[in-house]
Amino acid sequence: MNDAPAASSLRLIDGLFAGERRALARAITAVETEGDAGRAILRAIQQRLGRALVVGFTGPPGAGKSTLISAYVGELRRRRRTVAVIAVDPSSPISGGAILGDRIRMSEHDSDDGVFIRSLASRGALGGLTPAAMWATDVADAAGFDVVVLETVGAGQAEVDVAEIAEVPVVVCAPGLGDDIQAIKAGILEIARVLVVNKSDLPLADRTRRQLMSMLELRESGARVPVLAVTATNGEGIAQLADAIESAAQATTAQTRMERSRRHVRRLLADAAARFVRDHLIARDDPAFDQLCQSVAQGGIDVLTAAERLLEK
Amino acid sequence: MSDAARSRERPAKILVTKIGFDGHDRGSRIVAAYLRDAGMEVVYTAPWQRIETVVRLALEEDVDVIGVSSLATDHLLMPKLMAALRTAGLGHIKVVVGGIVPPGDEPALTAAGVAKIFHPGSSRDEIVGAVRVLAGQARRESFDRRMA
Amino acid sequence: MSDHKAGSGFAQALDAWSRAYETHLPTNRAIRNRSGIEAKPLYTPQDWSHDRYMRDLGFPGDLPMTRGIYPTMHRGRTWTQRQLIGLGTPEEHNVRVRRLLDAGATAISLIPCNSIYRGYDVDEVDPELLGTCGVTVNTVEDMEICFKDIDIGRISTAVNDPSPFTLLALLLAVAHRRGVPWDRVTGTSNQSDYVSHFIANHMFFRLALPGARRVLIDHIAFADQRLPGWNPLSVVGQHMQQAGATPAEAMALTLCTAIQYADDCMARGLAPDRILPRFTFFFDVSISFFEEVAKFRAGRRLWQRIARERFGATDPRAWRFKFHAQTSGVDLTRQQPLNNISRVTVQAMAGIFGGLQSLHTDSYDEVLSTPTEKAARIAIATQTILREEAHLTDVIDPLGGSFYVETLTSEMEAKMEDVIARIDAAGGMYRAAETGLVQAMIGTSALAFQERVESGEETIVGVNAYRSEDDDLEVDWLERPDRKAIEEQIARVKRFKAERSQAQVAAALGDLARAANGSNENIFARSVDAAIAGVTHGEICACLRRELGFGQPLVVP
Repeated sequence: MNDAPAASSLRLIDGLFAGERRALARAITAVETEGDAGRAILRAIQQRLGRALVVGFTGPPGAGKSTLISAYVGELRRRRRTVAVIAVDPSSPISGGAILGDRIRMSEHDSDDGVFIRSLASRGALGGLTPAAMWATDVADAAGFDVVVLETVGAGQAEVDVAEIAEVPVVVCAPGLGDDIQAIKAGILEIARVLVVNKSDLPLADRTRRQLMSMLELRESGARVPVLAVTATNGEGIAQLADAIESAAQATTAQTRMERSRRHVRRLLADAAARFVRDHLIARDDPAFDQLCQSVAQGGIDVLTAAERLLEK
Repeated sequence: MSDAARSRERPAKILVTKIGFDGHDRGSRIVAAYLRDAGMEVVYTAPWQRIETVVRLALEEDVDVIGVSSLATDHLLMPKLMAALRTAGLGHIKVVVGGIVPPGDEPALTAAGVAKIFHPGSSRDEIVGAVRVLAGQARRESFDRRMA
Repeated sequence: MSDHKAGSGFAQALDAWSRAYETHLPTNRAIRNRSGIEAKPLYTPQDWSHDRYMRDLGFPGDLPMTRGIYPTMHRGRTWTQRQLIGLGTPEEHNVRVRRLLDAGATAISLIPCNSIYRGYDVDEVDPELLGTCGVTVNTVEDMEICFKDIDIGRISTAVNDPSPFTLLALLLAVAHRRGVPWDRVTGTSNQSDYVSHFIANHMFFRLALPGARRVLIDHIAFADQRLPGWNPLSVVGQHMQQAGATPAEAMALTLCTAIQYADDCMARGLAPDRILPRFTFFFDVSISFFEEVAKFRAGRRLWQRIARERFGATDPRAWRFKFHAQTSGVDLTRQQPLNNISRVTVQAMAGIFGGLQSLHTDSYDEVLSTPTEKAARIAIATQTILREEAHLTDVIDPLGGSFYVETLTSEMEAKMEDVIARIDAAGGMYRAAETGLVQAMIGTSALAFQERVESGEETIVGVNAYRSEDDDLEVDWLERPDRKAIEEQIARVKRFKAERSQAQVAAALGDLARAANGSNENIFARSVDAAIAGVTHGEICACLRRELGFGQPLVVP
């Protein structure tokens, strides 16, 4: 059991649940930094999760995800829904820094109080989403937004992670992106509940759309996944996109939702534990550990058995 | 374990923006790249931002430092920006200005609370070093405020 | 080895020199110019020989135009000295202009205040930002005052407002009021190149790309019909070079923009022979001396080929690459500012040897703020000295035939053709700007140059080398117009808005909006009607912004 949170953390949590913008921003920072305040928040929000519709947008770079999300947010606002957007950009593997440039494309919402946008860097998550991005999504959910949009580049494990967090994973493609469909790995198609061909004013859009549909035929229940042609820059197809997302959400049964939720918590816990163990082991300065490593290097014990032995300890 | 030991240090988060009339963003894009290469996270905006928008972005993104790129008359708006930040409870954020600021106008900016002014010809190391130090200061002040 | 007609013993002598050079300078680090072209230590007939004269050079005024667009060039007519001036209120502007005209100038530039560049009237912005960088002109009354006691029909006015060209509309309104026929109004719409504004994010107001595209062609069509003395189009390479494009890129991209505009004009039914002669160009001249000379010569050669081969223009006037050059402010420093006088001199020389038609030399303090009169005088004297003391214009294209300059011209041309091919492959300049391709290209070059400055590979005296502790800054502050005069200006505009016929204004704005929403009417023509009816600059901009959308910057971080 945790100790009681500090007064400052309580104030922050109160502000978060009261819908204060500043509190939400600081709460996200708190979970990013994982200190006492962050932990208090993670605990406090659990009972409030599940109210928001969480939509994940993923897809290759250049597909126009940010512009599309901006248009989608505009449509949601017309339908009087409040929206939080968590936009993840890749950190440089060399310097660890990042340019967080997604929200530039969403600047039309900069003075709308019903929209909250936060940029996060992927921070070396090996191609996947950082826990921080997942937690930020949960925090925004608990803060009371109707819809939480998570945006990430479809690279490595990210798209699978998106499916874990988002009730409705949306995969965005655009025609003429190099190898078209090759750029979209099979994994993405498995988890998508809505497929979007953006920039559909381009000549090859129709071909891309047909390619996606034929690939879906190979997938179980693929027939229920709509493939939409949109043009984010002029708004064409956006209303239909919003409808499709809404339908997908409604088609999710309460049971599926609960299962996903349970899987989600297990996954978060397992990931956090694994990360702690990993960080701890790599930093570890212990002769017994060193000896085990040496044994593995010399072939005295295989690495798998050695790992099991470590966990036993 | 202490809070400090359990926490993960977040990289410095910087907002790079332009207010006022000017649109030239060659300098600010280069500075954004420098900061990224130095391990910082940079939220980058288009030019012609309104002051209210800069305040809002700084708040949503919970930044440590705001870098304003300024040409021509833009720097004349800095006192307004500084006041707006304070009103929004964001007085801990350190603000720097880069660009063309006539020497005679500098005291007004400093008096308004601008932490540093970078003139054309400032080196990468100068800019990165100063921003890093200021980000640390902002972080500490923000923490102190919260604990108070 | 072919015979270079260099005389016997050439090959051996070249060989001997190469060996001697290497002996004395064994480590040979590649030296590249800003466009990435390597400079060898020596050029000889092996690199370029005079048997290529007719193919590569020809004669001034004749194909392939390399040596100049007119037979006489600067010998016949010296370049137009058009210095930028603009400050404060219309009254202050009028006084300055009349002084210049009295001193013999025949051409003026109307530089509006930054608030106007952004599409606002004076009563819509923070007062402290007004009038520091140009003149505040919002209404036909203001324009009247700017041109008080000046015969509009006798001088050439370069108007620096961007689309939707409200200042020209106001100027035409004044001409209309005074009974001056529009065919006597001469000048240029200096900032008509919306693509360059969009790419380089200057401060200019701009409509969303489709709207801007429409307004420009309407503007050109209007000038074609009603303003025979007016140049409606100036294709601007300056913005892109200042944003970081290399000189070769800047020239190539500008040519691509011109190609796009020519295509758009043709789609509107304006034939190349009719419209291409109205195309003028505006470039930056950097301090990379030989590179700039080669850039302009290559540009001239490429343009005539584009005009003839791509567009089938048969009128020689369509083949002429007319350009204005401004010395590049990006090369100037705040540190040891008097050094800027030397820099501007070299830049100006490059432009002159490049064969420009019109030149603006920056003042040494331009980096700090609007130039002082003393500094502006020195800038003008620089041109005079180069012309009349150094006699740089006595000979046409004096660098022509130089083994280096001809080789470099061809190499720059090749680089430009690569860029043009890339833009063609991307669907043309409009599409390339829309998708951010050009912005990314320029951003990469900008960063690459900055790295070279940071590493010391590029020297900037006073900044990354040869620094001095006592950097003298002679200008103290931004020259501000008289506060009271600005307040009176704001009051005047408010009064004008209140006293004019609201019915007329509403009707004119309605017509303008209708034209914007339809496709049969000329938006610029309606803008001129609106100006005549008393609509202000800010109101025209606001109306079009509403109907056609604002051109959000496409920032490629």
